[in-house]
Amino acid sequence: MLEVREVLKSYDGRAVVNRVTFEVTPGEIFALLGPNGAGKTTLIRMITDILRPDSGTILLDGRAITDRARNEIAYLPEERGLYRRQKAVETLAYYGELKGMPARQARDHAMALLERVELRDWAFKPVQAFSKGMQQKVQLCTALIGDPKLLILDEPFTGLDPLNVQMFEELLGERRAAGATVLLSTHQMNKVEQLCDRALMINHGHMVLYGAVKDIRRRYSDHAVVLSTTSRLGPVPGVKSTVTGSNGDVTLLLESNATPQAVLRELLDRGVEVESYSLASLPLEDIFVKVVREGLGLDQGQSAAAEPEPALAGGGVR
Amino acid sequence: MKFSWSRIATIARREFLTTVRRKAFILTLVGTPAYFAFVMWISSAGEMKERSEVLKELSSVGVVDSSGLFRDAQSEFRTEVNNESGGMFGKKVPEGLIPATVFRTQIRRFAGFASGDSALRAREISQLVVVSADYLESGRVRRYARTSSLFSSADQRAVASWLANGLVRGRVDSTLAARVARPAEKEQLFTIGKDGQFELKDDRRQMMDFMVPFMFAMLLGVSIVLGGQYLLQGVAEEKESRILESLLCTVSPEELMFGKLFGLGAAGLLVVAIWASVGALAVGPILLLAGVKLPTGLIGIALCYFLLGYLFYGSIMTGIGAMAGTMREAQQFSVWFTFLNFAPFIMITFLLGRPNAPLAVGLSMFPPTAPGAMMLRLTAPSSSVPVWQVALSLAILGTAAWLVLKMSARIFRIGLLLYGKTPNLPEILRWARQG
Repeated sequence: MLEVREVLKSYDGRAVVNRVTFEVTPGEIFALLGPNGAGKTTLIRMITDILRPDSGTILLDGRAITDRARNEIAYLPEERGLYRRQKAVETLAYYGELKGMPARQARDHAMALLERVELRDWAFKPVQAFSKGMQQKVQLCTALIGDPKLLILDEPFTGLDPLNVQMFEELLGERRAAGATVLLSTHQMNKVEQLCDRALMINHGHMVLYGAVKDIRRRYSDHAVVLSTTSRLGPVPGVKSTVTGSNGDVTLLLESNATPQAVLRELLDRGVEVESYSLASLPLEDIFVKVVREGLGLDQGQSAAAEPEPALAGGGVR
Repeated sequence: MKFSWSRIATIARREFLTTVRRKAFILTLVGTPAYFAFVMWISSAGEMKERSEVLKELSSVGVVDSSGLFRDAQSEFRTEVNNESGGMFGKKVPEGLIPATVFRTQIRRFAGFASGDSALRAREISQLVVVSADYLESGRVRRYARTSSLFSSADQRAVASWLANGLVRGRVDSTLAARVARPAEKEQLFTIGKDGQFELKDDRRQMMDFMVPFMFAMLLGVSIVLGGQYLLQGVAEEKESRILESLLCTVSPEELMFGKLFGLGAAGLLVVAIWASVGALAVGPILLLAGVKLPTGLIGIALCYFLLGYLFYGSIMTGIGAMAGTMREAQQFSVWFTFLNFAPFIMITFLLGRPNAPLAVGLSMFPPTAPGAMMLRLTAPSSSVPVWQVALSLAILGTAAWLVLKMSARIFRIGLLLYGKTPNLPEILRWARQG
């Protein structure tokens, strides 16, 4: 679906995005992570063809992002606004027409979207009369109109109440079921764990994590297992210490030379009733903090202690 | 640059419709000419009223005649004010149909200055005229009044007329005395027109000679600035409200810029078309009646100046809108360029009086002042602008508009996504060069 290969973007001789390579497969929800100033927005601007990379290629369905491909990408930026005096349906129809839809079809699609986000009764009211949450729904609809193949959402959940968050998630699910691919940039790690299949983390332009979310969490587990049991635990060879959680599950921190399989065998041999036994994994949020603090990129480039990303420097815009 | 004309048309249509539907647009459309009409009416009516007030006030004049020349002069004089010639755009009324207003002034004689001064301070007389003993040789007359009008010298003319009449009264017959008092009462001035024929320059025509170029150039200047201001507001608002980034995923910066230029230019043109049409209907017959002849093809030339002038100013305003962080900042930058556009009006008396002077020619060649200056020169009564000068001026303006458009497009592309920092001049120049 989306292939980003060796993409480099520099401002004043400093790489803001440094040879980043990843791909997003059709129908997946892919997370783009990174601390503030990591280069996420610059990367997204290059994917949406707002900026041109200094080198590297970005392909959508195997083709460069051309004029035609642009109609298949929609972008909901983190800092977003609407035409305040314009009616909601007119705003959406305008975006639809810009994406190549005939006027009538754009208006029909706009009405359908407003109905889906429960704003049909507000369709003919100016956006300035809307609450913040309602405006965010309209903003999401500006990205959804025209049924784009690739949906790029930057912090879409910010400022939403739980009900609207749920609606957004349902909408993403519907889009995914319809074959759309979603690139989600967010700092809400729980949403990444909940919604995303794979993730890429960049820090100061360098790739620092890339792969399936589950694999990333497993990779960064603290060499520990979580055991659910009703038996009392005595000393177990290969187990350094134990921590009992509030739900009664026990986390066993293993010796460096012990394997989870060997410890499980020991437990069973000792007659411990094992209800469940799984590898412990860190929350994605903890991994995020740890990786950013360690600061080493997958490309072995130093990703820490760089300067913040500029809003935009001269040159290189499409 | 690769364009999608359908996207440009969509943007232009939205910009045009949202602009013309705004209450502010209707207010500008109706309010601007209404404001100018009101100002002209106030100044015209005010001048008439002031003249009447001055003469009404002059009900009694004290005279200290040290020369003895005015011993037999009238003890009362009358001043007539013709009510027909007041309104500039008023309907032409046949002479004598509306009776003139007559103001009467009584003459009171005083033996010396002291008694006259006392009477003036006691408000028994309006003014005191002291004629010196050697008046015949020196012409020295002193006039004392409690106040004087800034805008009318009707009282001075009335007193001068009484003096002239008094000098010859009793020596010649009354008709000749009256004529001596107002020797050029019905004077008509004829000047050679653009067609080589003499044409009458009455008060109404004199006023037209000033107002027609002024209105034409002002219409052009206002419409150019109006279109530019719409652009400035549109770009700055979109930037400030963070709409641009999601738009730029779908359209290119060039498509956005051209869509705005076309859409808002059309809105500006609509304003001009409505003003010009209403103006032609309202003032056209009066211009014909007054014998005002405008140069052939003036409307076509004005349209060319509007299009190129709008492209020139519109491109600058678009660039400013894209560079500035807020609407307020954008307006602070743009005010200088707006000032340049209206600079010819500061020199309007010079441009109308000497339309072929080197400075006037230079101003009509300099792109920022060319539309206003050339329009003033073309419509000035005593001007005959060579065709080559119009062609050269349009060519220079067109070239400048194209260059500014190219530079603005580069600045626009970069400036749109720059938030929180206003670029300095070297940065702007670098953007304009590199894009």
